[in-house]
Amino acid sequence: MNNLLKSFGPTMTAVILLLAGTWIIGMIVGPQLIMVEQSLWHNAKASDAVGVSVRIDKLYNEVDLLGFSKADAEAMQASPERDRKIAGIAASIAEKKALISKLEAHEVKSTRAYSLRNYAMMTGNHIAIFFKTIAASVAVTLIAFLVCYPIAYTVAKLATPGKAALIMLGLIVPYSINELLRIFAWLMILNYNGVVNYLLGLIGFDPVPFLESGAGVFIAMVYAYILFMVFPIYNAVETLDMAQIEAARDLGAPVWQIHRRVVLPHAKPGIAVGCIMTFMLSAGSYAVPYIMTRGTAAPWFTQLIYNKFFESDDWNVGSAYAFTLLVACIMFIFMMMRLFKVGIKDIAK
Amino acid sequence: MHGMDVELNDVSMRFGDFTAVHPTNLTVRAGEFFSILGPSGCGKTTILRMISGFLNPSSGDIRIGGEVMTRVGPHQRPTALIFQNLALFPLMSVWENVAFGLEMRGWQKDRRRDKAFELLDLVALGDQGEKKPAELSGGQKQRVAVARALAVEPSVLLLDEPLSALDLKLRQHMRSELRQIQRKTGVTFIYITHDQGEALTMSDRIAVMKAGVIEQVETTDAVYNFPATSFAATFVGANNTFAGTITDASGDSATIESKYGLLRGKNPQNLAPGSEVFLFVRPEKMQTLAASSGAPNTIDVEFVRRDLEGPFINLFYRNGADSFSVHMTNARSALDDPAAQAALCFAAEDGMILPAGDVADE
Repeated sequence: MNNLLKSFGPTMTAVILLLAGTWIIGMIVGPQLIMVEQSLWHNAKASDAVGVSVRIDKLYNEVDLLGFSKADAEAMQASPERDRKIAGIAASIAEKKALISKLEAHEVKSTRAYSLRNYAMMTGNHIAIFFKTIAASVAVTLIAFLVCYPIAYTVAKLATPGKAALIMLGLIVPYSINELLRIFAWLMILNYNGVVNYLLGLIGFDPVPFLESGAGVFIAMVYAYILFMVFPIYNAVETLDMAQIEAARDLGAPVWQIHRRVVLPHAKPGIAVGCIMTFMLSAGSYAVPYIMTRGTAAPWFTQLIYNKFFESDDWNVGSAYAFTLLVACIMFIFMMMRLFKVGIKDIAK
Repeated sequence: MHGMDVELNDVSMRFGDFTAVHPTNLTVRAGEFFSILGPSGCGKTTILRMISGFLNPSSGDIRIGGEVMTRVGPHQRPTALIFQNLALFPLMSVWENVAFGLEMRGWQKDRRRDKAFELLDLVALGDQGEKKPAELSGGQKQRVAVARALAVEPSVLLLDEPLSALDLKLRQHMRSELRQIQRKTGVTFIYITHDQGEALTMSDRIAVMKAGVIEQVETTDAVYNFPATSFAATFVGANNTFAGTITDASGDSATIESKYGLLRGKNPQNLAPGSEVFLFVRPEKMQTLAASSGAPNTIDVEFVRRDLEGPFINLFYRNGADSFSVHMTNARSALDDPAAQAALCFAAEDGMILPAGDVADE
């Protein structure tokens, strides 16, 4: 605070604080609070309320139909019969309108009922999807770590500067392409009649339903979020003094022990950050499972949330589900910090 | 623990076009404190890394205890390396640092803990074992690094300027401590340094190195008193330099013609008349004269500055662009008025005539 004042002066400090405050309240706290609030209520109606509403709708329909009949009658040639008919229809319309207003007066307005009902809705199939998503995201995180750690270590410590730059470029270039296109590329590769199955066919294997089995989602996700794992680990490993590795080696440590006792402990904060980012992105991913499964495999939890919001049009249950996912992600962060014994400060570094 | 000898046979090291170490022959005797002394970039660290096994020589072979070390990795050699920055493991406690090598050799925890504390006692850190390295002072870290290296019972301990990060007082203290540990354990120490004072105080023998070439390997006294090259004469200790040509050589002394007239000195390499040479005189062998006497080996000078170093006094004089220094003890007989001195002189047996060559930078 004092530093801010010293560096930027009172006016700029006020502007910075205002912008930061607006951002925190308007973009983070506000929407979350609204979502939590929404998740805690649902529209409650009396037991016969539905029947009444349906009757009112029906009566409105009948009134409309009578209106057409009346118009037909009015088009007839003038005669006493015509007048009688019109009068009869008008009477009928008036009668129905009276009934409508009576019913409408009787109709119960729906009320907000606060309860945990929206959260309790998550049972059976839904809870299975939730846990499957969490488990799958953990698996994606794990696979991404196993893939990224050797890459990060190689780039940071083994490769010559020129080679390291080349590998980094190779990692970054694909990310200049739109995410959807990258996922579509995997779709083409892993499709039932895609590249991989074609190659498998050449050596005599039957095609493998990668996408239908859900394996495609894994592969595409690991690929989609690999950078978020590589960079934090790379940054952490990069700061490790090469002499530490050499000292361990000189004292007789085999390669795996060097990693277990020297490199991994040093890289812990980076690994924690990488795991948290990859997990959050995987658990919150919508496009990857949507494109890669196209409904042929069980949905991701995010797809369920989307359906609640925009297909069932039930924002309350959608909010409850979204909030549940958020809580799961926050719990994952704390678990990671526990597991790696790192504090917020280490991660911030 | 027992020391082993280290032998370099025609060992050289090239990095691309750059030759870091020219073909070198060197024998370090078992159980001696051997220093490789040279300015930074002279290739001394490269030699150390080749002995430790982190670098493979471009040519030649290294033997430790008579065994050829080619294709033997650093972890299999009977050597332990102490790094310039010590490279203690910051996340492990002090005793775990010391026990690391034993852990890698499959020792049980209790046993290696006992051994680690035993070694920490040796370096007077028995009560600091549970701390993290960051909680120790520079000198203590130094000793932890020594204990960690000794834990694996090496026959050769390689030290890469480990004292360079310490302040002067501590450095002087650590010198004697390292020397003591070396005596106690009998392990061969190969010590890399650019600090000639360090090399002189600790070592049995010194190799003076310049630009990838070892110029002289001798005992400390011999290197200081009888340098073999101009570089060794100026890098190890200070020297006053007179350039000239030998006019007359007889026996073990010679006369040179310099811009200060004829100067006489010893001629240990029996250089022939006509040779371009430098005549070196140590500052502590220089004497001041109140007035120019015209006697041989006398140089007219004017006073520049007097530096008090406590027990010593350094006097600086110059003649034109040439500067000269005189080093005297701060005894009662020390000069009251160095500025009144008009000439310097030295005895012929204190002049050392060597072939003209590169001299160390000031």
